[in-house]
Amino acid sequence: MPHSATPPSPRAPGASVQPPAAPLDTRYRVETPEAIDLLLRPAGLVPRALAFAIDLLIRGLLLLAIYVVLGLLGKFGMGLATILLFLLTWWYMVLFEVFNQGRSPGKQILGLRVVHDDGTPVGWAASLTRNLLRFVDILPFGYTLGILSCLNHPAFKRLGDIAAGTLVVYRDTPPARPSLPQAEALHAPFALDLLEQRALLAFAERGASLSAERRAELAAILAEPLQVPAEQAEQRLNGIARGLLGPT
Amino acid sequence: MRLTDASVAIRPRSPWEALDLGVLLARRHAGLLLASWALVTVPLFALLCLLLWDYPGWAIFTFWWLKPAYERLPLHILARALFGDTPSLGQALKALPGLLGPQLLASLSWRRFSPTRSFDLPVLQLEGLSGQARRQRLVVLSQRDAGAATWLTVVGVHLEMALWLGLASLFYLLLPAQIALDWSWQNLVNAAAGEWLWLEHLFNLLYVLALILWEPFYVACGFTLYLNRRTALEGWDIELVFRQLRQRLTGVAYALLLGCGLLLLQTPTATMAAESGSSPLQVADPMGPEAARLLKQPLSSQAAQDSIGQLLEQPPFEHRETVTRWRFGEQQVEEPSEEQLAGLLELLEKLFKLAEFWNSIDAVALFFEALLWAALLGLAALLIWRYRQWLGAFVGRLGLAQRAAAPPTRQLFGLEVAPESLPADVAGTVERLWAEQPRAALGLLYRALLSRLLDDYRLPLHGAHTEREVLRLVEGLEHSELSSFSQALTLHWQNLAYGHRLPPDELRQTLCQDWRRLFDSGVRT
Repeated sequence: MPHSATPPSPRAPGASVQPPAAPLDTRYRVETPEAIDLLLRPAGLVPRALAFAIDLLIRGLLLLAIYVVLGLLGKFGMGLATILLFLLTWWYMVLFEVFNQGRSPGKQILGLRVVHDDGTPVGWAASLTRNLLRFVDILPFGYTLGILSCLNHPAFKRLGDIAAGTLVVYRDTPPARPSLPQAEALHAPFALDLLEQRALLAFAERGASLSAERRAELAAILAEPLQVPAEQAEQRLNGIARGLLGPT
Repeated sequence: MRLTDASVAIRPRSPWEALDLGVLLARRHAGLLLASWALVTVPLFALLCLLLWDYPGWAIFTFWWLKPAYERLPLHILARALFGDTPSLGQALKALPGLLGPQLLASLSWRRFSPTRSFDLPVLQLEGLSGQARRQRLVVLSQRDAGAATWLTVVGVHLEMALWLGLASLFYLLLPAQIALDWSWQNLVNAAAGEWLWLEHLFNLLYVLALILWEPFYVACGFTLYLNRRTALEGWDIELVFRQLRQRLTGVAYALLLGCGLLLLQTPTATMAAESGSSPLQVADPMGPEAARLLKQPLSSQAAQDSIGQLLEQPPFEHRETVTRWRFGEQQVEEPSEEQLAGLLELLEKLFKLAEFWNSIDAVALFFEALLWAALLGLAALLIWRYRQWLGAFVGRLGLAQRAAAPPTRQLFGLEVAPESLPADVAGTVERLWAEQPRAALGLLYRALLSRLLDDYRLPLHGAHTEREVLRLVEGLEHSELSSFSQALTLHWQNLAYGHRLPPDELRQTLCQDWRRLFDSGVRT
């Protein structure tokens, strides 16, 4: 299901008792000048640590190969290897992030990418800042500050991210084509807002992953408004979902 | 358990996102989680240290092995906090003994090394299943998301190490240099000898501190992963929306029923018809669209206006900016009322008292002022004395008001007028030269005159002056003899120099005598 804006649910002002705190969510909302909400999903410590580990491994293997090969060339080779070490240490992340849509190989594997705070692709300045400041995050040993900052920031930023104004987010993958159970398409007997339509579609799409008892239980919730006996509710809901989906 | 009370947004997430939600959940309740964890683990660690003082390795190993037992407390807190029933610190600690009962042995033995420990713990602790049912449940839940739980444990192990080493490095960095110098690696290697036991216990304590920071997050991540799995497995998000939809629909049905009933109960009466018939103008709305409308539904026009107003007062419609600047305080002009006058008088009195007090302070202030000025002057004097030689050497040379004297003119109209270029006995030389070289003789005499005018009379002559201007300057000296001599000499010099007319012979005597009288005897003695 594509992640797009959820419309504000109409709520009578008399009954607008604000909950004590908004429900926790991992989404990060960016509003464009055209008043469109972009929903980014910042990535937390665990996938980022794994992506970093993969990158570290790749760099280590590369360096090993470089030193073995260039070691044959004697002093000249060692000098060259040292230059390559510098490039690999300081520019590996930057070059990949700028030229590969914010994805180093590790991030690519974990499905992450780096963007600016406003969701735009990361640029030279931000990428350099966030990667040079790794040396602050490393302090005093083994990314201690970075870990603590990442755990304590609502958008899971380490210090380099805060300074550069960047965000590590999950990439949006194109959703798979849903398969709905066969049913006769029906019109909903009452008006449904977007959220409710989505829930009906999700019920039909995810039916295969729910147990039969659970499906019946869920459908029974809506049996009364649908004015059908509880046993037929599931079939009716599937029909409405197919009606919502339209001809395919 | 009511899903509508959940304090997290319930929707199916990817396993990684579920872990992130756990971080957010732990962050929201961080204070309680960290405090309860610390209150349980730190005393226990202290106890272990005391019991196993000689074996610090065993102490930390025992502490580490018992980790699943402490993890039950954060899970208990989180499970209650999820549905808005956050326990207090005391309540949580009181609940701990009850939590330890079930399945503790399993947790501490064969499940101890399960990589999905945090993911399984909610099943063991919260679902209360047993035997076969529990096993099946674990198998079903770990069909998906078990990979993420494993990675969480793997990353967690490394994070613990990183935090531990980070704390240790910080500790080492904060050591004063003197102490650090005394520590050689030799000593640290020999730590097992027993002398450095306290140091080992200290490093173990750092591990305990690192666990305080990380472990609540670990438990929370496992818990949200479990929640995410159940959301996907049981369609929690669907149930949530379905329940809201049902409430909306049946609620509307009830409201409709109620409204119809009220309408039917109210029988039309004569007065209603009469009012509407007699004065139709009153029905016309005087306020037009501003009037309150739609009064019979929850969203009346007034309420809508209010909520519109509220919306417009928030960003992005409203942009408020607070700018703070320094400026001169304005004189507060107050119109004195009678009460204020009394207050003012009192204030004045106090001010007078304050002024008196200030006067008494003034003496002290004056003393210090004098002291400070004296110190300043003394300092200046000291500086001058200290650098007197430097001053003597350089300040005089700076020559503030002395204008460098212009170098004396050495040449006028192409004639050498420096005194050194003249013979000592000008008149004698002239008399000697007169017969053969009258031009040289007269020239010499004129040069000598100019030289004397420059040196003896300090006439400001320079190269731009003509002979006539020189004469005028000489007249300005009010010296009649000199001026007549100069006139005569200049006249003859000009005649000779420009007109090539030789001076008369008797002039030689006159000029030489005048010269001797004027310069050789009188002035230059």
